[in-house]
Amino acid sequence: MFDRLMCAFAGATLLLASVAALAAPDAQSILAASDAVRNPDKPFGLTVLLIEYRNGRQVGDNTLQVYSRADPSSGQFRSLVRFVAPPRDADKLMLKNGNDMWFFDPSSKATIRISPQQRLLGQAANGDVVTVNLAKDYHAELAAEEDVQDGDRQMRHCYKLAVSATAPNVTYDHLEMWIAVGSNRPVKARYYSESGRLLKTAYFRRFQTQLGGERPTETIIIDGLDPNWVTVMRYSDYAWREVPEVWLQRDFLPRFKPE
Amino acid sequence: MTFLARFGKTCTLGLLLLAAAVNVLAQDDEAAALGLADLTPESAAHPRSWRLFVEGAFEQAYMHFGLADEQLHRATIDLQVDKTLSGDWRVVFADRLDMGDVENLNGAASISDVNTLKEAYVSWAAKTSLLFDAGRINPRLGAATGYNPTDEFRSDAVRSVDSSDPVSLRENRMGSVMLRGQSLWTGGSLTALFSPKLDSHVNTAGYNVDLGATNHEDRWMLIASEQITQSVNPQLLVWREQDNAPQFGLNLTGLLGTAAVAYLECSAGRSPSLAAEAMVLPPDTAFRSRLAGGATYTFENKLSLTAEYEYSGAGADASQWRALQAGPLAAYVQLRVFAFDAQDMVTRRAAFILASWQDAGIRDLDLKAWTKVDLIDRSRMIWLEARYHWRRVEAALQLQYDSGTVLSDFGALPQARIGTALLRYYF
Repeated sequence: MFDRLMCAFAGATLLLASVAALAAPDAQSILAASDAVRNPDKPFGLTVLLIEYRNGRQVGDNTLQVYSRADPSSGQFRSLVRFVAPPRDADKLMLKNGNDMWFFDPSSKATIRISPQQRLLGQAANGDVVTVNLAKDYHAELAAEEDVQDGDRQMRHCYKLAVSATAPNVTYDHLEMWIAVGSNRPVKARYYSESGRLLKTAYFRRFQTQLGGERPTETIIIDGLDPNWVTVMRYSDYAWREVPEVWLQRDFLPRFKPE
Repeated sequence: MTFLARFGKTCTLGLLLLAAAVNVLAQDDEAAALGLADLTPESAAHPRSWRLFVEGAFEQAYMHFGLADEQLHRATIDLQVDKTLSGDWRVVFADRLDMGDVENLNGAASISDVNTLKEAYVSWAAKTSLLFDAGRINPRLGAATGYNPTDEFRSDAVRSVDSSDPVSLRENRMGSVMLRGQSLWTGGSLTALFSPKLDSHVNTAGYNVDLGATNHEDRWMLIASEQITQSVNPQLLVWREQDNAPQFGLNLTGLLGTAAVAYLECSAGRSPSLAAEAMVLPPDTAFRSRLAGGATYTFENKLSLTAEYEYSGAGADASQWRALQAGPLAAYVQLRVFAFDAQDMVTRRAAFILASWQDAGIRDLDLKAWTKVDLIDRSRMIWLEARYHWRRVEAALQLQYDSGTVLSDFGALPQARIGTALLRYYF
């Protein structure tokens, strides 16, 4: 009798544990799913308009064209960024392959290696401007499920993820991310330095069907130290593009001409 | 309730209220930011195949050696065109016209226009990874900042000197007429080029394309690069001028953490000293090397600092330099002119320190300062610039100081101090 009771108890415990395991969402999978919402899964191009505001007044703007493809081995995006505006920066190029970054100036014909810290043009850090698959370089843990206001001021039920860097020399030490339950849309993110200082807050909004998925076509970045410093990044001209491997290297930069 | 308990409750309540207030303020800031985004217009700029700017400059030079101070007024038109013709063909054209006058305070003036045809070539892409170019091309080479020993095509290429800034000297120089082919593969490339002799004599006439300056001898070059790791990407070069011995070069850059880049640029081969090449000393061909190595560190506030050590085995060491200074003045001047045209070091060792600060305390204000120190004679040049830019307009103020003993590297320059104000408009 006792043995039968113990077996029944053990079986019930195992059943409950299985159900719990099935019900608890995998944070890393959620993070990867939100990456897939933001980034197409084939080489693509788009135009990025960055408008910078200080104390409510527009103080600058940049237009960039981005050509991206994922590295087959690391899964991380490699991007070629062409500056279109303002006129003084036109046709300057930046190549980003992880922390292997190069800058080309068509006036001097110089191709120079730059560090991730160098932000030669514009306010947005290089890591913000180009595409990134967070799940490749960061580890996520589920911190909570909560309602949060999105970029359209609607309440969204979200997974709150605590995301920490696993790869060396990535742009941010750790993040908090709110990802909508069900759709896996990124809603909001906070980016932190190693010291715990809030570097910026980002809202993702204006979801549109682009390149086979519902993707955020606008990112609003609010500086962590100065909340009156706001950058609006708007994406347009999405297109599948052939981005050959040979484009994504230093020696091709002086020859780059997409059209 | 005791006083301490009441005090503790009051403090706790105060902290909670403060936290709530901070949270409300943060939410207000974010709401304001979202409101700005709601008002953001749709328009993004479209790429163009050309870039054009005009620039006006006024320069006041305070001179050494009893020379009359000078004022220079300059107007510049700079045009770049990069156009895909059809499919695999592309045409590149870059030209700069400097229109200026030089006058001293006594009123004497001369007017001279100098046109610099920087590039004019066609490019054919046999396929994405195989490309050919023909025409006047500016193949800018070298990883270093202040001195580029592998930048073979820098010599005799500068027609109009608007500034002593190394960036300006590279931007405003003529290319060389050449045939060039390049093969690219993932992570690497191989380039071969041949630049033929087309003329023997330099022609300083204002609108002359001056083939004698850039194509006064046959030159060929091979350049190979391969990515070893994500942070290391060496470039090997070999080149030869006419009947001279081949020269070998290396450009190497590497990432140090997330904020620093280190670089090394060097060349070596049998060659004469600069003085022998300038024909102020007898031929003295020997194995000589040149190098420039340094690092750039960038702080979070966008301030970048570069420190570079420069060495030229073809330059004069301390005793040789003293002997040249003590020798015939005409020979000294001949050497100095030759060294400037060659964009090479007249003495053996130098140091270059550069600080550049983007958005220096004020958005759109860029500050730049560098000093070049001749480590043989301790003379130096200091160059400062403050540049403010709007969307289409830039205004800049530049100052240059040259110091050192008479006949030293920088002390011998006729200008003791130069101040330049310039205004540029981008179309």
